[in-house]
Amino acid sequence: MARTKRFLNGAAKDAFLKQVLAAEPGLDEATRERLALALQSSIALVSLRCHSGSEPASAAGASVETTDTAAAAHEPDVQNTAENTPPATATEGAPFDPYSPNVIVVFRTLGRDAALAELHAIEDIDCLRLLAREQRLGIASDLADAADIRRAIVAAAERRIANRRAAAS
Amino acid sequence: MARFLAIANRKGGVGKSTIAVMLAHASAAWGKKRVLLVDLDTQCNASLMLIGGERWDKARRAGRTISDYFFDRFDKVAEDESHYVAANVGDVAHPRASPGRVSLLPGSLMLEDVQGELYLKQAKRGSNPDKVAQDVRNRMMRLIKHFGHDFDYVILDCPPGLSFAALAAIDLADQVVVPFRPDYVSQFALDRVALLIERVETADQLAAVPFVDRRYICLPNYVTGKGRERLLIDEIALDHPLLQSRVPLLDSVARAFDWEESKKTMAEKYGDALPHLRALHDEVFGAATWLAKAG
Repeated sequence: MARTKRFLNGAAKDAFLKQVLAAEPGLDEATRERLALALQSSIALVSLRCHSGSEPASAAGASVETTDTAAAAHEPDVQNTAENTPPATATEGAPFDPYSPNVIVVFRTLGRDAALAELHAIEDIDCLRLLAREQRLGIASDLADAADIRRAIVAAAERRIANRRAAAS
Repeated sequence: MARFLAIANRKGGVGKSTIAVMLAHASAAWGKKRVLLVDLDTQCNASLMLIGGERWDKARRAGRTISDYFFDRFDKVAEDESHYVAANVGDVAHPRASPGRVSLLPGSLMLEDVQGELYLKQAKRGSNPDKVAQDVRNRMMRLIKHFGHDFDYVILDCPPGLSFAALAAIDLADQVVVPFRPDYVSQFALDRVALLIERVETADQLAAVPFVDRRYICLPNYVTGKGRERLLIDEIALDHPLLQSRVPLLDSVARAFDWEESKKTMAEKYGDALPHLRALHDEVFGAATWLAKAG
């Protein structure tokens, strides 16, 4: 039987990594979560280097390449409302998951650079805007450059974190 | 001695009473435990779910509610506290041979007024307001604790806010389940209630307490499965221990709390929510759970 290739992004990538880690004996839930997050970030950083270096960006971007078998069970749970139809990425054909990466979680666990690196895997400006909207990370509407939008998203995440912290005690 | 489990959150509308009643039914039916639910919420929703309006009205007219108990016994050693307890409540049928039953110390609309009266009463004995408040809480705590001899689990359905009764329940509890709706403001409420439960003052002090040592665990409730919820739950999990169980927003859960006289099975009562309740029960009350280990 022919094995077709799929490129995972967003929640599907997250789920795939967790599935792989789940098969490893002796890892508790918290460790699996931490490793999955670290792997996601590392993959994004590799992707960032590919994009900024001489090597042409791969079709996969920051995706994890795998087979249909593993991917089929982990489709992202995006809401396909009329108001919120996620743009499909040209390279992958799969719906964009605006809830992944979770910018706040990446920022808090791995830092600003990692959050920015994760966002570099998203090239489409509409996807970045959708992610910002769905994750409630307010950005200026007049930003037109992807790099500016990514920076604005990360800055908004930082403000959200500070906001919560200020209210906590 | 019973294990004391508080269901608490300063925020209202997160499903505290619903979860308290579900856990009481589940523990009696599946765990065969003798469970007492103490309704500390002046909305009295848990009481209405378990005995209906008429029986609750009879209880309050007869002076058999939580506020009567606190008021009557405040200065005296409790002798026969079972006088205040409604036995074998709820609309789930239990086999005759099984010890598993749910009992209820009914809630009262007057509890907040009674707390005020008890404060004033106590204030006549001392002038330091903080100490007076602490004394009232301690007395309430001792009074609730008294029920520990007759039950396996005492579930404390706390009111929203920070009344003396809520604080006494949180102080007394071996463990606290904190239900929350995965929305933006819930994380603020969780941060605050966590400080209270762990008896620390700042987020940094809280962060220094390892998850395994914390007295509380959070339960995502009314989960719809939307992507935004996933973001918030992941974010909350960075700061607070979470149960693996999720209670979804289901009609069957909402319907389960329409009071009906006739007894039914757990499957009849909870419908398609049953597997979620089963998972929650096993996680909270199972032999290897945090509640069992808390002793």
